[in-house]
Amino acid sequence: MTAPARLEVKDLRKSYGSVVVLKGVDLAVEAGQVLAFLGANGAGKSTLLNCVSGAQDADTGDILVESASLRGLNPRQVQDQGVAIIYQHFQVFEGLSVAENIFLGHEIRRGGRVDRRAQNRQAQELLDRLGVEDIDPRADLGSLGVGERKVVEIARALRLKPKFLILDEPTASLSDKEAKALHEVIRQAVARDGIGVIYVTHFLDEIHKIADQVTILRDGRILWTRPVGEVSIADMTDAISPDALMTGLDKTPFQADGAEMLQIEDLTTDFVGPINVALHPGEVLGIYGLMGAGRTELLECLSGAAPQSGGRLQIGGTLRRFRTPREAQDQGVALVASDRKEQSLFSSFSAVENLLVPHMGRSPMPRMLRNFNSEGLAFERAARRLNIQPPNPRMQGQRFSGGNAQKIMVSRWLIEGAEIKLLLLDEPTQGVDIGARHELYEALAEVKRKGTTIIVASSDATEICLLADKVMVLGRGQQVALIDNPHDEELLIELAHKAEHGTQQDVPVGEKEMGAMQ
Amino acid sequence: MTDTGLTRGTTGAPLEAKAEKDWFELAVAAALPMAIALLALFFYIKAPVFMTVNNWIAISVQVSALMTISIPFALLLMAGKIDLSVGSTLALCGVVAGLSFEPLGIAGAVLLTLAVGTVVGLINGVFVSSLGMSPIIVTLGTLTLIRGLAQWLAPNPIFGFPEEFLVIGYERVLGLPILTWIMLTVIALGVGVMALLPIGPQIVALGVNKRAAFLVGLRVKAIGIGLYAATGFFVAVAALMSISRINSAPAGTLGIGVELSVLTAVLLGGIPFTGGKGSVLRVVLGVWLLGMLSNGLILMNVPTELSLMTTGLVLIVAAGLDVLRSRRS
Repeated sequence: MTAPARLEVKDLRKSYGSVVVLKGVDLAVEAGQVLAFLGANGAGKSTLLNCVSGAQDADTGDILVESASLRGLNPRQVQDQGVAIIYQHFQVFEGLSVAENIFLGHEIRRGGRVDRRAQNRQAQELLDRLGVEDIDPRADLGSLGVGERKVVEIARALRLKPKFLILDEPTASLSDKEAKALHEVIRQAVARDGIGVIYVTHFLDEIHKIADQVTILRDGRILWTRPVGEVSIADMTDAISPDALMTGLDKTPFQADGAEMLQIEDLTTDFVGPINVALHPGEVLGIYGLMGAGRTELLECLSGAAPQSGGRLQIGGTLRRFRTPREAQDQGVALVASDRKEQSLFSSFSAVENLLVPHMGRSPMPRMLRNFNSEGLAFERAARRLNIQPPNPRMQGQRFSGGNAQKIMVSRWLIEGAEIKLLLLDEPTQGVDIGARHELYEALAEVKRKGTTIIVASSDATEICLLADKVMVLGRGQQVALIDNPHDEELLIELAHKAEHGTQQDVPVGEKEMGAMQ
Repeated sequence: MTDTGLTRGTTGAPLEAKAEKDWFELAVAAALPMAIALLALFFYIKAPVFMTVNNWIAISVQVSALMTISIPFALLLMAGKIDLSVGSTLALCGVVAGLSFEPLGIAGAVLLTLAVGTVVGLINGVFVSSLGMSPIIVTLGTLTLIRGLAQWLAPNPIFGFPEEFLVIGYERVLGLPILTWIMLTVIALGVGVMALLPIGPQIVALGVNKRAAFLVGLRVKAIGIGLYAATGFFVAVAALMSISRINSAPAGTLGIGVELSVLTAVLLGGIPFTGGKGSVLRVVLGVWLLGMLSNGLILMNVPTELSLMTTGLVLIVAAGLDVLRSRRS
């Protein structure tokens, strides 16, 4: 009998510019095993997955499948080597049937035409093997729930008979029931086909149900790898949460004094609401919810990027309804949007232009002629304040690491004279390494001390608990809870899951925790 | 910048990669000026008259109208938009000027022409920027529509303009033709706007990332409409320049194909079809290269067909260089 196949990562290193993200990662998973892979945002998980999948190449080190190196291969070639990856964001298409999705790009042909019948039959076999009975291969994907869509993605990956399957937060938008069903599917795949699985997740309670081993990635290094039987959830929580984040952050309960700065009453958009909350100067509201809960929609509405359909928004006691982000900015309300590349970075612009584009031709920058000297000074100050690396004003935006680019995005609204009273941040630490994350948090703490009200939306409960004085939990666009001084991440996660998938009545109301309920 | 108190470690590797890339960038950046220099040398050898001050002034007059349109057109393309109606608008403006000299006088006719050009631009801008329609489709529509309008206004060629107007086409001031001065003014305006005014980076920002431009509070619609209006205005200027040279305004042929010449020049100048970057000075070189090509080939007695083919070839070579550059980065 030969030894089981192994997927091995050996001393993998990867830097972006001056930021070292992976500092020598060693990892191994055997065929027939499930390795749970944990780490906080910014620990380097995505970078590692991208290196393995062929989306990026590492600087040094090796990735081996049965002693064949995957270094330098493109994603297609990695797939051919027997490693399949399923990303968090769905890559299935409505308007195509389940079978068509499964065979997309590898259609079964007969006489030049797609053989739908054969595809349906084989899709059925694949689904049967996974123990899934209630998905019809001929059904339109649009008619499937999110959990079933994940199963379709897994079926598609397994169709190529991979030796290893990497799942990136497969249950992020699934209900408990759907997650349970998905676990069963994965167990089937492991047991029947003997594939090895790397399972990335934020939900620690899944791990004992699905994994054989647990690996913790922290700050670009593997902290430890242990058999799942030997670790408790508390062990994992302690290991993941980077203590570096906590230092220097003021977590004394917020003391409101003076008038409220922001009052939101029955605010609605087409999808979100009614929302009710009031915030003081210097208060931080966290908005927590699963993917698609309405976090982004709410922030976009408050920042003038999406229309408000009803209710009242008062800022400093004055009723406002913004039609464009510019109108909101004129009243001191600014948004740092999620998805930096798509929504906030000007990739080919220099750092200084990226920083100052929002202020070109308006206060505090000169209205008529540009003043390159003061532009340079503004960048220098921002670079010093948030430790932007490298502090090179002329470097192109796209060449900064995620963390440093994000520092520039946030700095836009912190420059002198910008006078932002309400700062809105959507997933501010997405794709941000741990060091930069800490620096961003510190900058926000400083902004808060100066009396700016902040609203942070995040899918990371740890981040919310770290930053927020008050948390609003959203589910299906509804405000399901408003909690003062949040500290219990598990509660937030639970509330968000129930809100998204259960009925409203299921949401438990802890007496101490609840400030208000919708 | 001196000591900023930043002491995070930096590695040497990315810097080396950067140096290599800069070398390549430099080579690509030098390609256009080099092409112009080599071409000039080639024409000089084949037809020595090419390298005379008077011939270069003649080239400047030949390209003056094209340049006047290409500069605002370049800004439009940098912002990720396009105007295919410039040729037709040129005809309409020429016709309007030609028809209004008699009733309105020269000043009145010039003002009316500039207004018509600007209004056509505004209409394009409103359809594209306010209503969010496709720039190519909208201006393809106005290309045909406005040509029709011009021909309807003046079914027969108009000719014989007031002498006081025609001086624009041949008179010199301080040794240079007025047309050349107008062209230089437009170039200076274009360079100045992009280099010194806050609107410069805002225009490019639109082409780089429209969503981000909107979210950071740029007046996306107003900038778009303004750029179309400016293009219309300068097309009107170019129309006045053209008809002052040829002393007629034939609605059916005036400005035919100008949109393609302008596009060729601007793309030669290194502005990608998708916008988001570019330099006004390089567009000037692009226009100049086209002007030199046609001038030099005529001096060499090369038939027009061959001259057309050469222009097309040059554009494709330039596009190839651009692909090479984007592959590298």
